[in-house]
Amino acid sequence: MGLRLVVRTLSELCLTIGTLIVLFVVYVLYWTGVRADSAMEKEIGRLQDSWAAGPAATGPPTGTATATVPGEPPGSAPGAPTDDGPAPRAEHNAPAPAPGATARAPGAPDGTGTRPAPPAPRGGHRPGAPFAVMYVPRFGAGWAKPVLQGTGTDVLKRGLGHYERTAGPGETGNFAVAGHRRTHGDPFKDLPDLRPGDPVVINDGTTWFTYRVDTRPYRTLPTDTAVIDPVPAGSGYSGPGRYLTLTTCDPEWGHSHRLIVWARLEATRPTADGRPAALLG
Amino acid sequence: MYVWIWRHLPGNAWVKALSSLVLVLAIVYVLFQYVFPWAEPLLPFNDVTVDNGMPAGLVAPAGNGTAVAL
Repeated sequence: MGLRLVVRTLSELCLTIGTLIVLFVVYVLYWTGVRADSAMEKEIGRLQDSWAAGPAATGPPTGTATATVPGEPPGSAPGAPTDDGPAPRAEHNAPAPAPGATARAPGAPDGTGTRPAPPAPRGGHRPGAPFAVMYVPRFGAGWAKPVLQGTGTDVLKRGLGHYERTAGPGETGNFAVAGHRRTHGDPFKDLPDLRPGDPVVINDGTTWFTYRVDTRPYRTLPTDTAVIDPVPAGSGYSGPGRYLTLTTCDPEWGHSHRLIVWARLEATRPTADGRPAALLG
Repeated sequence: MYVWIWRHLPGNAWVKALSSLVLVLAIVYVLFQYVFPWAEPLLPFNDVTVDNGMPAGLVAPAGNGTAVAL
């Protein structure tokens, strides 16, 4: 009797653990993707809502006394809200556009007409907030992911993450973006397929930034942070420029290395003029 | 264990089966909602950055120490 109880309990335990493992695999392989896809769609929706709201939304964001955009001196660089004070906003305050975007919206106080001016100063976005959408035709015609500020675990569940200390899209420096290669929607699953000449297009609500990939995917160690320097080490770039760095993990299911792709800004185009050629082909 | 639970559930077999189902669903929900999200970052392919979780205000100045993500 005692033996029977022991055997039964043991087998029940094994069954339970087995079921748990199967459930966990389902969660990691499938459920995180479902959640991430819906979160990314939601972030893109938030962005498009805020862009659609346009200059009308330039007013102080609800609930916080802030004057990031209106307080900006008219002569300052377009789209340069103070580095020290990204407007604090409540997490749920979705429709309010990012400061960088509002500053360049038509009719904003800085309307000086300096078109190629960079819109998104580093630190200008609230951490975790979306501020741009990335398109990579190589990953599929419908491939569009939101770019969020920051690279925390929580941020990367909802989209691509912009390394906070790096330049904004189109700025001189290095616009560095990280994304999951596996799990959480697999946004950068096909990063190894990128080849020199492939376009990577960013839209921040006012401008299309078309980057061209210059390197084949470069494998490096997780500690090699120089790859996202303003002039990235290992990229072959020798002087300052407007660069883009994409990072993901390598190997596919591991974390021993990182895979890096560099691109250089090729063209900018106002959003009002429609999609750039790179997305039409 | 399962026999013990089955014995302690009230009602006849149908009620027991129904409440077992509810129990199973509740456990799966708790796992997916709370336990797995907690456990998942411990896996290698979710080891996202080398500056893991560094808050915005503490980001190192340009040129040293930051993350490369997975």
